[in-house]
Amino acid sequence: MKASAVRQALLLIALAFVPAIGEAIYFRDKVSWQSPIPASELVTVDQARSWGDNVIWVDARADNEFERDHIPGAILLNEDRWNELLPHFLGQWSPERKIIVYCSAQSCNASREVAKRLRDEAQLKNVFVLDGGWEEWLKDKR
Amino acid sequence: MLNGVCFSCKMDLSSRNILWRIVALIVGGIFIYAGVIKAMDPVAFANDIDNYKILPWPLAVRLAFYLPWLEMLCGLALLLRSFYRGGLFILTGLVSIFIIASVVAKARGLDITCGCFGHASKNWNFSGHLALDLAIFAALIALWISSPRQQQEL
Amino acid sequence: MNTNFSRLIGVLALAALVQSARAELKWEQTSVDLRPAFNDKQAVAHFKYENVGNTPVHFKSVHASCGCTTAQTQNEQVAPGQKGEITAIFNIGGRTGTQVKTVTVQTDDPERSSIVLTLKAVITPLLEFQPTLVYWQNGEEPKPKIITAKANKDAAIKKLDVSSSTPDFTAKVDAGSAPNEFRISVQPRDTTKAVYATLTIKPDSPANTGNMFSAAARVMPSAPASKSTLSTIRHDLATPAATAASPSQ
Repeated sequence: MKASAVRQALLLIALAFVPAIGEAIYFRDKVSWQSPIPASELVTVDQARSWGDNVIWVDARADNEFERDHIPGAILLNEDRWNELLPHFLGQWSPERKIIVYCSAQSCNASREVAKRLRDEAQLKNVFVLDGGWEEWLKDKR
Repeated sequence: MLNGVCFSCKMDLSSRNILWRIVALIVGGIFIYAGVIKAMDPVAFANDIDNYKILPWPLAVRLAFYLPWLEMLCGLALLLRSFYRGGLFILTGLVSIFIIASVVAKARGLDITCGCFGHASKNWNFSGHLALDLAIFAALIALWISSPRQQQEL
Repeated sequence: MNTNFSRLIGVLALAALVQSARAELKWEQTSVDLRPAFNDKQAVAHFKYENVGNTPVHFKSVHASCGCTTAQTQNEQVAPGQKGEITAIFNIGGRTGTQVKTVTVQTDDPERSSIVLTLKAVITPLLEFQPTLVYWQNGEEPKPKIITAKANKDAAIKKLDVSSSTPDFTAKVDAGSAPNEFRISVQPRDTTKAVYATLTIKPDSPANTGNMFSAAARVMPSAPASKSTLSTIRHDLATPAATAASPSQ
């Protein structure tokens, strides 16, 4: 009789909630419940803002561009002076914060290169690239 | 005849039933394995569900925590012959939904890694996956048909 | 009849003349592969051209894809039959691996008004570290962690000197599992307070020209860094180096 199968099914469904909720509690801080962590490395300015204080900004542009203007609090880390600048950045980093690397615009490659090196060489997690770069940030600046 | 956790009863059954027992063991084992793999990395599974672009993220992530345990319990039901038909019922439903979702995603041109065996199956191709899922589906239907209806409830 | 015929000849001659008035810049190579030595600060590519047409060619702009590369043409105006080159200088900086930089050249040649010159440089650094940061959480057992250093096989590095900017970390160097590999073992004194140190690594190689490399070692703070922790870190950065050199064998 199908009824018993359905009743059994409902019992199994209810039973499965117990370990599931237990696991969810265990992982509660490690999961982004409301919005997905971007599958690719790109984040938009809006997404970056929603992360609030939890972000370390990394400027991948040349020294003179950084000096002219940069995102407040950003740390300079470009490939020209990589060996000099890297230790300084590593001193500021902490595992809970998300790193967002930017360069001048969508088309420049420096931010992607720096992000890749941070992931590969320093083995850092949560390294992202700002979609649109400095140009995009300026547009949204209030 | 009493079913349920009664392994010593095997002596009484015909070889046909032993065949079905083996099929149930294999299928149950597959689902337990699949469930364990997914429960170990719920975030990866959540991303795999999200890749189908059918469910919103908040639902996908909660499902990612829940489904593996349901799979494991149902797999266990097949193994222990406890809640047997209920387990079959759920697993058949899950596999059907999954096959439909895969075909729809493929038709939409989405590039999905199955996620049914977690990231362990990352490198398999679509047809391989589909073939395996259809085989499992067939096995489940066969087990359903061959299971006696006057089963004692446990 | 005569006038029509001569007009026709005239038109044809004019057409022929217009057709043959072409500018054409021929390039010996539009893509150059370079393998700079590990000591080189720059990689230079020469893109040679020749005007094989019969009108002069004018370079409107020569523009590199990044600020790290400068490109210049020998002559702004290239007369028919004249040769020259565009020199692209790629400042390597701290870059490693395969680097591809392009130079876009605009000319007044109607056939090819825009040419892309490609410079591909494979850079093998003197030393590579994996990882460049080792860290311990506050309260984690202060067991040593390993940084693997891979040396460029052409550099014949026998020894690495590793020193920490603060005495809170000790560093020891041993030979690695493969030739030209070293194992740098870093250990904190304790993990109760947040500390940051720069590890300065000096390769001892006859070919080395005073190159120094850095890695970082940290003990993370237990809570979000307060102002006092940050000032402690800043103080550590300013402390003179305490040498802890060891032989590589």
